[in-house]
Amino acid sequence: MSWRSEVLAVWAIVVRNALMASRNVFFFFELLFWPIVGVVSIGLMARFLGLTPEQASFVLIGTIALSVVNVCQLEVAYAVLLDVWSKSLKHQFLAPMGIHHLTLGSWLVGMVRGLLIFGLLAALGWWAFDFRVLAPGPVAVATFLAGCFLNAWIVGVAVCALITLFGNRAEAFAWSSVNLVLVLAGIYYPVSVLPEPVAALAAAIPLTYFLDAYRAHFGFAQEFRAPVATGLALSALYALLAHWAFWAAVQRARRTGLLLKMSE
Amino acid sequence: MFAIDAHDVTKTFRSGWLRRRETAALRGVSLTVPRGAIFGLLGPNGAGKTTLLSILSTLLTPDAGSARVLGLDVRRDASALRRRLNMASGRPSFLWSLRVGEIVALYGRLYGLHGRALRRKVDELVELYELVPYRRVPYSELSTGLKQRVALAKSLVNDPELLFLDEPTLGLDPDVSVRVRQHIARLRRERGITIVLTTHYMREAEELCDEVAFIKGGLILARGTPAELKRQIRLGEVIALKLDPPAVPWLAEAPGVLRCVEEDGWIECTVDEAEKRLPEILRALHADGVVVRNVQVHEPELEEVFVELAK
Ligand SMILES: Nc1ncnc2c1ncn2[C@@H]1O[C@H](COP(=O)(O)OP(=O)(O)OP(=O)(O)O)[C@@H](O)[C@H]1O
Ligand SMILES: [Mg+2]
Repeated sequence: MSWRSEVLAVWAIVVRNALMASRNVFFFFELLFWPIVGVVSIGLMARFLGLTPEQASFVLIGTIALSVVNVCQLEVAYAVLLDVWSKSLKHQFLAPMGIHHLTLGSWLVGMVRGLLIFGLLAALGWWAFDFRVLAPGPVAVATFLAGCFLNAWIVGVAVCALITLFGNRAEAFAWSSVNLVLVLAGIYYPVSVLPEPVAALAAAIPLTYFLDAYRAHFGFAQEFRAPVATGLALSALYALLAHWAFWAAVQRARRTGLLLKMSE
Repeated sequence: MFAIDAHDVTKTFRSGWLRRRETAALRGVSLTVPRGAIFGLLGPNGAGKTTLLSILSTLLTPDAGSARVLGLDVRRDASALRRRLNMASGRPSFLWSLRVGEIVALYGRLYGLHGRALRRKVDELVELYELVPYRRVPYSELSTGLKQRVALAKSLVNDPELLFLDEPTLGLDPDVSVRVRQHIARLRRERGITIVLTTHYMREAEELCDEVAFIKGGLILARGTPAELKRQIRLGEVIALKLDPPAVPWLAEAPGVLRCVEEDGWIECTVDEAEKRLPEILRALHADGVVVRNVQVHEPELEEVFVELAK
């Protein structure tokens, strides 16, 4: 495949996901509602509990990261979910495309959605709670967002793999299992408060490191050495693993006939 | 040169994680289809037609056996093969909120078209299938016939050399079916596309296909031109009669009559040759004082061919 057809295949998925997103009336709801509810309620709770501005920012960073990851990973999972829902999965796998086209294309759209949410929540945090998310500067913000997006990609691809493996009945299972992983990443608390075995799990999640690095800019003691490098290395490893799992699931679906079953 | 050359293809579906269920969908299918042919796969529900098409189009992998399609191995050269073939089904489904033009364009991009070439292709196909007025209508709002036309349009985006059509006229009204059939014939005539289709309509197979194969229980029971097969199986033709009095016992014993069954007030006599036997039977009935209220002559139904083949 030439680079041109590679780009085209990814672009095809970008256009598809963007069109589907623009047609979905719940899109804006999905995009805005829960993240805003999250930030507002966490912010108010912090005020009620009398948290210091540092403590409040600690929790708010976690909430914003969770929202960004969620919105982006949902879009990545749409790589197969849209077709599973409309029972048109087979057309995609009849076409000469690789799974990386699917996951890259939907990831690109997911990043745009993630950026929108991030900007909105940053503005909301500033306006309502005087919390300056962008204070650490563009490089730190970009690194933090990159971490969120990488995590979202991995999670989304893993959901694709699970759905291709178990069929659409596995949807709920897929969502809850990946969300469990996110909760372990220390969204609302430092990883150090977790009991030993769980902390080890948290240390295996890339998002943990990006949160750690970003929170360091707000004056919190860094829990890990070289968090960004570790986070990137782990992300690369998991991205490969998730893609391998997705690829294997597609191969299996071609053997078991699940691919057909999900298309009729 | 064969477009399809398959040997001993088998496929067993295994489903269920705890309680395994096994369905032997194909049990050793060997098939050759010459290039440029329209080839029909006929068979009852669950015969394995869709499974065979799915394997030949690389959507599924076979358990055993070998299949070369357009000279390429369906397992090893799957991605090269996918560029050169396409498939449409009579039960199509696409992303429900995409519009007709967008669906065709989406798959055009996936097959490597872009810019002006893409726009030209989409225009061409939308026009070819008379979808111009529906170009901006979401897929979910189309009627069955329109959906099928979208599926056909999509299946031509990559100018395939080989086209699989799974029950292309399913659920279409007769008028539209006729046009779809004419169109399929034209695709072969004008574009030289090899077409493999499945159908439950004998009429369709006869009208369209150079050759057909009967598949049942995952095995090919017979193949040949429609005429060859009928001769081979010697099914004869059916003379259906509405009589007064309704029952005539000697009819089943009349010369050339293979069997008689009664259905809905009609007596259906299968005869070796309708043109020869009809006058004889009518004369005999008249002589017997039986009033003939209605007569129909038709070819055997597909089911009858199968009943015969399965014996
Ligand atoms: N994805 C699948 N998973 C499990 N079993 C399947 C699957 N697809 C088909 N089968 C089974 O394999 C057998 C052959 O099915 P297939 O769909 O190929 O038949 P068909 O000839 O196309 O029938 P129809 O005329 O009803 O379309 C059937 O028993 C069917 O139940
Ligand atoms: Mg079928």
